[in-house]
Amino acid sequence: MSLSIVQSIPLITLAGPPNSGKTTLFNFLSGQNYKTVNYPGATVEYSISCFQTKFGLTANLLDSPGIVSLTPSSPDEKISIESLYAHPHLGTPDLIIATVDASQLSRHLLLARQLIESKFNVIIAITMADLLKKRGHELLVDELKKALGCEIVVVDGRTGSGIDILIAAIEKNIKTDHLKPEPLPYCCNLEIDRLIHSYNEIEIIERRVLREIPSNGDGAANLIKANKQLKILNQPETKSIKSHLPDKTTLNIDRYLLHRYWGLFFFFMIMAATFTSIFWLAAPFMNWIDALFGYLADLSLAAFGFSWFGDLIANGIISGAGSVLVFVPQILILFLILGLLEDTGYLARGAMLIDNPLSKIGLNGKSFVPMLSGFACAIPAILAARTIPNRRERLLTIFIIPLMSCSARLPVYALLIAFLIPADKPWLGGVSLAAIYIFSIVSSITIAGIANKLKNRIVKEEDNSSFILELPAYRKPQLKVVLINTYHSAKIYLKKAGPIILGFSIILWLLTYFPNVDPKIDTNNLSETEIIQLKNAERLSNSYAADLGKFIQPVMTPIGMDWRVGVSLIAAFAAREVFVSSLALIFKVTSDNETLQNSLLEAMHGAEIESTGKKLFTTSTIIGLIIFFVFALQCISTIAVSKKETGGWRIPILQLIAFTGTAYVLTFITVHGLRFLGVQ
Amino acid sequence: MRSASELKFGEKVIIYSLDGNHPSCRRILEFGFTPGQEIELVSKSAFNDPLAFAVRGTLIAIRKNEAECIKVA
Repeated sequence: MSLSIVQSIPLITLAGPPNSGKTTLFNFLSGQNYKTVNYPGATVEYSISCFQTKFGLTANLLDSPGIVSLTPSSPDEKISIESLYAHPHLGTPDLIIATVDASQLSRHLLLARQLIESKFNVIIAITMADLLKKRGHELLVDELKKALGCEIVVVDGRTGSGIDILIAAIEKNIKTDHLKPEPLPYCCNLEIDRLIHSYNEIEIIERRVLREIPSNGDGAANLIKANKQLKILNQPETKSIKSHLPDKTTLNIDRYLLHRYWGLFFFFMIMAATFTSIFWLAAPFMNWIDALFGYLADLSLAAFGFSWFGDLIANGIISGAGSVLVFVPQILILFLILGLLEDTGYLARGAMLIDNPLSKIGLNGKSFVPMLSGFACAIPAILAARTIPNRRERLLTIFIIPLMSCSARLPVYALLIAFLIPADKPWLGGVSLAAIYIFSIVSSITIAGIANKLKNRIVKEEDNSSFILELPAYRKPQLKVVLINTYHSAKIYLKKAGPIILGFSIILWLLTYFPNVDPKIDTNNLSETEIIQLKNAERLSNSYAADLGKFIQPVMTPIGMDWRVGVSLIAAFAAREVFVSSLALIFKVTSDNETLQNSLLEAMHGAEIESTGKKLFTTSTIIGLIIFFVFALQCISTIAVSKKETGGWRIPILQLIAFTGTAYVLTFITVHGLRFLGVQ
Repeated sequence: MRSASELKFGEKVIIYSLDGNHPSCRRILEFGFTPGQEIELVSKSAFNDPLAFAVRGTLIAIRKNEAECIKVA
């Protein structure tokens, strides 16, 4: 057991239900300087940090995932709860700070009381007392202390008020010489009765500790409250317990945003705005990054002369790093917008609105955000699928995410569409691109439906499909917290995808550079740049990559293509957009960057299949290639992340075979179907 | 007896009991839908599913089939 690890400094764990202000408090205490780590072997995430130095406390601070109670409802919750008892690395917490939202006292006291009953060492941090006041109630802290028998502090993680009292309470608590807590497992044969009983007790406490703030000295309400009778188990009462009403403003906004018909309309408007801003706002930054890395590559080529070493630095490492970083702007903007939407409280409502259609294909309302993220990049999307509690639905969501048209496909589509449409009708390009997106959405829904039908073969888990989600009160988002979370998401992307993409692009560089390092070419009448580009092209056509391409020629012939396309498709496994630059290399396109696309298009128009002399790129093969890119899983980092997040090779291998296989078959059908119809 | 899935907009009722055989029963209880509590149907998603209820000072969205296990007086 890893419990034997001796921890020299105390472990303080924050625990609380979702939306209880737990993470806000964590951010305040840690100074937003934290690490996000997975529980070993699991997809449950936790953040670990130390207290800010200004608090003068030496202790580990752990932010545990939000839970409603100590009885797990899903495998992931089980891990979260087990780790609350005994963290695999950090052991049992010396102290738990349980966050309780004052405006939802009865719901949030459930977990706090379970923690106390299980003999944890607990301090309760009451949050959102201001919200309670706005609703006309105040909390009698001393009464609650008496009722629960533990220290209680009212804090505000946004403004920091009450934090000094909390710190003092923690200090006093951990300095007190008591035995290390040995919490008892919380389980019960009569779970349901115990829950109802627990709530009844909490209601009694609630009546005692909540006082209506008298308006103009009218305190009569208290008396009525105090006279309320004790409720008997499972018996309806003649009069309901006075629970506070939900936030008025929230109810008014929801009248529109959750309207039966308009709700979906607003939802699609908000999602369309999110979606377009991912592309529009990120585009200039992506171009800068692209240009910067191009410039750096040129610099290093010039610095190291045109040796193999310089080439490795420029085309292996620098452009590899560039193809990782180029997606960072999109990921930042995506997480910024999603973070803002989540912090305002809208994202939970979006999940509610879309739950019914998604449940028809075996998904969940909570699958929506990961799927939307998939349009930027599959890697953060697969990571976002962690928020789906049901394991079956989560695996199915991860399964179809690679079908979302990620932005790495965009440069490929741009090139292929440019080949198809006449130069005098540029508007057709936009229409075609929109058509490709719609086609990919429809196909992914179809495939999800099919996968759901074959569910027991693809996703073996059985799990009760459920959608129970709190719709938090609308509030102003905290930009600072959202920005920090955005930064962390980008960091996770770089950590997960970075080494894989970089490593693979170096391997690809090796394959395309060796063995013919210094090819002989006819250098008459050629400028220096042209000589270099010709050499590059010559080197590639004699490289290991070309050998590999020729090896897979028999696979490419049936779909009307040859080894050159095959090599580019293999190269695209590093990142899909590499397809374009690889084609340019193979077709020996020699010109400066600004007209690269035009020269490449020209070369493509002229290209012939070597053995038959027929045109290689025709309308039918180009459409075939587009179909191939819609379906094929051509991304080594997606496979790696999918393996990590699904906990095995089953799903990623299934994805690779199913999607790339579908891509190949559909490309075959498209190319030959079109030719049969007379489209060359 | 009616279930919470049959409520009209804005209808306030008191929970009578929960169907303990429903797989989501415990979770629904944990979210605060206990016998004796007053709940109000505040919104229905398109396709009438899921439903959002006001309970214990907040809004909780649950699927229609889950609301069926909440029997109301």
